[in-house]
Amino acid sequence: MASSSVPVRPAAFRGVGRSLLLTLPMALWSLLMFTPAFLHASGVARASGAVVAVFMTALFYQMMRTGTTYRWRRYFFVALGMLFPVGFIAALLAARGSMSIPIERMVSGDTPFCFMVIPMLIVPAALTRTLVFPGSILPTASNPHSIAVMIGLWLAMTLVLGKAWCAYACFFGGIEEGFAAFPKRAKIRSLDPRLRLVPWAVLLAVVLLSAALFEPVYCTWLCPFKTVTEFAAVRNVETAAQMAIFVALFLVLVVALPLLTKKRTQCGFFCPFGAFQSLFNKINVFEIRFDRQKCVDCGLCLHACPTMAITAESVHEGKTLLNCMKCGACVDSCKKDAAVWHVKGTPLTAKPERARLLFLYGAWAMATMFGGSVLANSLATMIHFVIPK
Amino acid sequence: MTLLSLSASAGEALALGFATGPVCVATCGPVVLPWILAQPGGVRGHSRQLGLFLGARLAGYLLFGAAVWLAGAAIPRAWTGRSWLLGAVQVLLALSLAAFATGWPRRRRAVAGQSQPLVQIGAQPASPPRGALALGFLTGINFCPPFLVAGVRAAQLASLSASLLFFAVFFVGTAVWFLPFLSLGLVRRTPAVVTVARIAAILLACWYGFSGLLILIERIVYG
Repeated sequence: MASSSVPVRPAAFRGVGRSLLLTLPMALWSLLMFTPAFLHASGVARASGAVVAVFMTALFYQMMRTGTTYRWRRYFFVALGMLFPVGFIAALLAARGSMSIPIERMVSGDTPFCFMVIPMLIVPAALTRTLVFPGSILPTASNPHSIAVMIGLWLAMTLVLGKAWCAYACFFGGIEEGFAAFPKRAKIRSLDPRLRLVPWAVLLAVVLLSAALFEPVYCTWLCPFKTVTEFAAVRNVETAAQMAIFVALFLVLVVALPLLTKKRTQCGFFCPFGAFQSLFNKINVFEIRFDRQKCVDCGLCLHACPTMAITAESVHEGKTLLNCMKCGACVDSCKKDAAVWHVKGTPLTAKPERARLLFLYGAWAMATMFGGSVLANSLATMIHFVIPK
Repeated sequence: MTLLSLSASAGEALALGFATGPVCVATCGPVVLPWILAQPGGVRGHSRQLGLFLGARLAGYLLFGAAVWLAGAAIPRAWTGRSWLLGAVQVLLALSLAAFATGWPRRRRAVAGQSQPLVQIGAQPASPPRGALALGFLTGINFCPPFLVAGVRAAQLASLSASLLFFAVFFVGTAVWFLPFLSLGLVRRTPAVVTVARIAAILLACWYGFSGLLILIERIVYG
């Protein structure tokens, strides 16, 4: 992977002792989160849990020590994006011998719930009290990740962290962030600014169509990540067309365009769930602001933003666009310290590092809880591939 | 037909319309919402556009009401040409949505020398009603589930006028559920909102076109 295009601040932003002290709560949280792994009968599971606990704690320590966020978050996020399909596909192959799910299994509610479906549930549920997803509302023995549990967890985290979900918890975003990190320079540098409106249009279209057709249209027709997770068994022309669309979108939006633009193109220009998440930035307390007195309009933050959530106009107004996912790339790239973490309702100059800490404790706790367990499971799976039981 | 049986029939149609209205809104929503969101703002302007849309939809209902009575209950249930009609309606709906979203009629008028005046004196004239009428009529003859239920019932009535009355009252019952769309007039019309609505309309046009063509192809292949 090429080195980050985002400049890094001086290595010793904070002393070792203070950094360790600030990391201690997150180390304890990691130990708590990986307790099931440590108590597991399998040595591989215990080792995987320990490795990931150390990995997550070390990354947080680096955030504290260097005062930067984006680079360390990206190590975790890309690892999550690359390893999630490994664990998921292995589990599917072990359970049913195939990545495809037959329609009869779908009808019986055996489809794992994915948070992408949440916006599509709202209108049909409001109009007809029907859930347009073939899962169970409450946990069952065969499917513990029930709709109610997943929505509850997602809602709690989204209310606290806003669109940060897309930078710290999404299982899929890391895949394209990984591809975007490969090239040293973007081949395509000029992108139509209207592209950032497309996710809103896709959201509007899929929400309306899901209500009309009583099915989660994005999942059945448009999700690029079906290519690396689970899809309906190809049994006729319709399912073949669906599969062709999934693969085409994956290759274009998740592989090719990130390589050419160094942006998260699926997230920034297509994902309806990301647009839906953006709405929660309105009611969330954490945000990135620009101190106009320090800003020299150099444009570094515009180029650093992976989802085009900053424009010259928004910088002039001292804020990001609604679709900011708080990854920290703009803050880390700013040489004048004009881009700052901020808690709404406080003065702009009121200790931005404290605002960053408040945000990061929540965001990293979420990352460890969601992503950490996925990493540990996937790591264990990979070790089992290499060293069979 | 006695007044009593007419009243009973109208009451049944109204109840059916009220009860199935949410499904009608869900079925027509993908067409109405992006289209109305891209129209010039204001509750008054939207009332006019929605009125035209619903009027055209009523015309579609009445046409279907007359057709099912004349043909008996065969059209909604077992008429073999149903899928042809459904496929064709979906393709036409896709073309209408795409034309509206890309502003093709406006561009054509501009090319023909009927572009916007350089100076506008007084209020801006209302946009032409063609979009509202075309989309309203095409959604009016779309075979959504409530529509089929009403069609089966209307075909069993004693006279053509009773069938038309049934569909007209059924329409009133469903139309009530469309009134919340007027609140979209309160949404601020930024260029971003209009662009989002237009892109969504293009995506939905793609969907209707794909879906309609699939129906037609299946009909051709499987007979």
